[in-house]
Amino acid sequence: MIGGKIAFASGMLLALAGGWLAFPRILYQTRQQPVNFSHKVHAEKAGAKCEDCHSFRDDGTYAGIPTLDKCSGCHTAAMGTTAEEKNFIDQYVTPNREPQWLSYAQQPENVYFSHIAHVKLGHVKCEQCHGNEGGTGALRPYQQDPISGYSRDIWGRPVAPVGLRNEGGMKMDDCVNCHRRQGLEYSCLGCHK
Amino acid sequence: MTTTRRNLLKFVGGGAAGALLTPAPWRLITDTALWSENWPGIPRPARGEIRARFTHCTLCPAGCAVRARCVNGQPVSLAGVKPHPISHGALCPWGIAGHHLPYHPARVRQGPVKEALAAVSRAITQRGAGERVAVLDLRPGRTVSWTYRRAMAAIDDGLYLAPRQPAYAIDLTAAKTVVSFGAPLFDGWGTPGNVFAARANFRLVQIEPVETRTAALADVWLPIRPGTETAMAAALAGEITIAEAARETGVEEQAISAVKEAIGNSPAVVLAADPGSPLMSLNAKLRALGRTVVARRESPVPDAWKKAAPSTEMAAVPDKAIRVLLIDESLPGGYVPWQDIQPKLAPNAVVVVFSSSSEGYARHAQYVLPAPVYPEMAEDIGPAIDTVAAVFRIAAPLIAPVVPVVNPGELVARIAGLPQTDPLRDRADAIHKAGRGSLLSYADGKSTSMKEVTADDFWKTLNQGGCWMDDTGKKAAPAGLGKFGRSGTCPTAHDLPLAVVVAEARRGGLESPLMSKLERESNLRMTANRVALSPADARSNGIENGGRCVLETACGRLSVVAMIDAGVPAGVVEVAGGPRMADLCGANQRARVVRA
Repeated sequence: MIGGKIAFASGMLLALAGGWLAFPRILYQTRQQPVNFSHKVHAEKAGAKCEDCHSFRDDGTYAGIPTLDKCSGCHTAAMGTTAEEKNFIDQYVTPNREPQWLSYAQQPENVYFSHIAHVKLGHVKCEQCHGNEGGTGALRPYQQDPISGYSRDIWGRPVAPVGLRNEGGMKMDDCVNCHRRQGLEYSCLGCHK
Repeated sequence: MTTTRRNLLKFVGGGAAGALLTPAPWRLITDTALWSENWPGIPRPARGEIRARFTHCTLCPAGCAVRARCVNGQPVSLAGVKPHPISHGALCPWGIAGHHLPYHPARVRQGPVKEALAAVSRAITQRGAGERVAVLDLRPGRTVSWTYRRAMAAIDDGLYLAPRQPAYAIDLTAAKTVVSFGAPLFDGWGTPGNVFAARANFRLVQIEPVETRTAALADVWLPIRPGTETAMAAALAGEITIAEAARETGVEEQAISAVKEAIGNSPAVVLAADPGSPLMSLNAKLRALGRTVVARRESPVPDAWKKAAPSTEMAAVPDKAIRVLLIDESLPGGYVPWQDIQPKLAPNAVVVVFSSSSEGYARHAQYVLPAPVYPEMAEDIGPAIDTVAAVFRIAAPLIAPVVPVVNPGELVARIAGLPQTDPLRDRADAIHKAGRGSLLSYADGKSTSMKEVTADDFWKTLNQGGCWMDDTGKKAAPAGLGKFGRSGTCPTAHDLPLAVVVAEARRGGLESPLMSKLERESNLRMTANRVALSPADARSNGIENGGRCVLETACGRLSVVAMIDAGVPAGVVEVAGGPRMADLCGANQRARVVRA
């Protein structure tokens, strides 16, 4: 009888440990960005602002991650002495090869999100959703849920706060909470058109 | 503790209970749901820069101006161009869905190009005396038509074949009364935007046996007995009495008198379903020539092109004379029934067709080469029947071909050994050199005299959204309409008792799968495998609504589905247009329908 209770308890404990400790670690696939890019260097030394590279097009759509043309505008030749910059020029600028950036913030196809409405009309700061991305010295690894295919930053409740980065502000709950706080419309069809 | 089966089950039970208290199973459920939304093959909207690009629709000779909304270079929606003086911002349903065509599942995706070229070269060198090399151009009046004509002039005994083209234009804006003998004025005739822009100013009398869409929208519909149109025309021309016409046509005397009075009192125009029909010469009797039926100049061409082969009709070619026949079916156009072509072919003839569809001549040719579809290829579009002045507009490609394709013009030029130049640019330069007319730019809606435009700017505007329009000048009467003469009525044959009436001229070629879904599967339009019969004819032949039956003509048989329609008069079988029906019915418009 006692043996049965011990068996039940050990099964339960094992599952709890697996579900709370191991599962969050194996849930996401981690990949490195193609270039060791420092937002901090660009912001502090070059004095660049977010919208200098992450610009809006003439029609108001958001250009997202800058293409190589934008980088080549300054980096046709090395501007500093770092190995990262030299590597970037040799690997991408000189052969005119587009870096395959992994977008943390790419929303799924079923989400309609307008940057210009939030940034220009709503005066929402970049940091409010993207965190202190612009002040980091290196790009963090990209984490993707291999089953859904979504970036960790845009979907999924925090599974367990065990050694993992604090979740960002680009998930549906974040959108809803922000809209609710400000007394704005937050119906399903606002984003899921 | 001993390991027993009971303890093992308890361990598994504890594990299951514990797992339910973790996020793992709940997360896996939602992830799996998301995974199922992202299967390969699920269409994904394009992302990227949104831009408007301009082009022209090539799906019919109207050549309406098109504004394409492109995301990351991919057209995602098409609309008309409002300042365009001919299309007036309108696009028909086919035009609106035109950007689907490159991805059509039934598109011809590959073809034996090398084998076809080798067979053509062999046949050209080995052909006997009097054997001809011919190009059949289903959409004459384009710049590539000139390439074909030049190519055929460069080859000994080359022939340029094309369906007969109207040598006139219709000025609807000048007409107060339009008498249409079955011309589908509101369903594919001319330029839709132009027709509807002029609609408020004319009264339409539609004369045809069945109530088509145009008949339903006409001011007056005269349901005429099939095959008696010439009798009606003779009465309107005053060649027979109204009483005689009424007896023959089945239309009331009063209605014929009213039409005759209307066309006598106002500027009028007579239209026929076939622009080459002798009925068109009734316009001379109405004094419409030079007023509503006018001559139109052709857009200038380089002087070097003027030694091109003349246009020949298929009927003028001697039997068994064609050794090599190249058919350009890349754009929907006038279909020449196969039974008119077949007798002209030598026994060992090589027939090559450039097409995106396997429906038309692909059924008869030895070699079918995949042709580009709209909007993949740079092409110009000749003027439509309701365009009074000459025009030059280019259908600038919006996307690269999504399958390996053969450019028919380039291939024919290569076979004939013509120098490899860009004929569109050459023609644009010739138009610029002529210095007449004006250039309309779609981006800003501005019209500029050609005298103020450089050749490079002209070319750039044509490719980025613009149209050259000739000066209208003084209206002139067209030549070649012939003399109106009354021919006999449609003969009745006991073995083929039904008169064939084409319900709607199908354009041929591919059409958007979306349109197939909306129109054909819902029976809003007739499909090629359907016929409509009157209840009386259906009853006498034992045919049920939706029943399978066989349509028989002098040219063959086709298994069809019958629809019983009280709107179809007795003695008539209504069919859809298209290559299969054209091959089956041809010029012999008599048929019978028997139960399968």
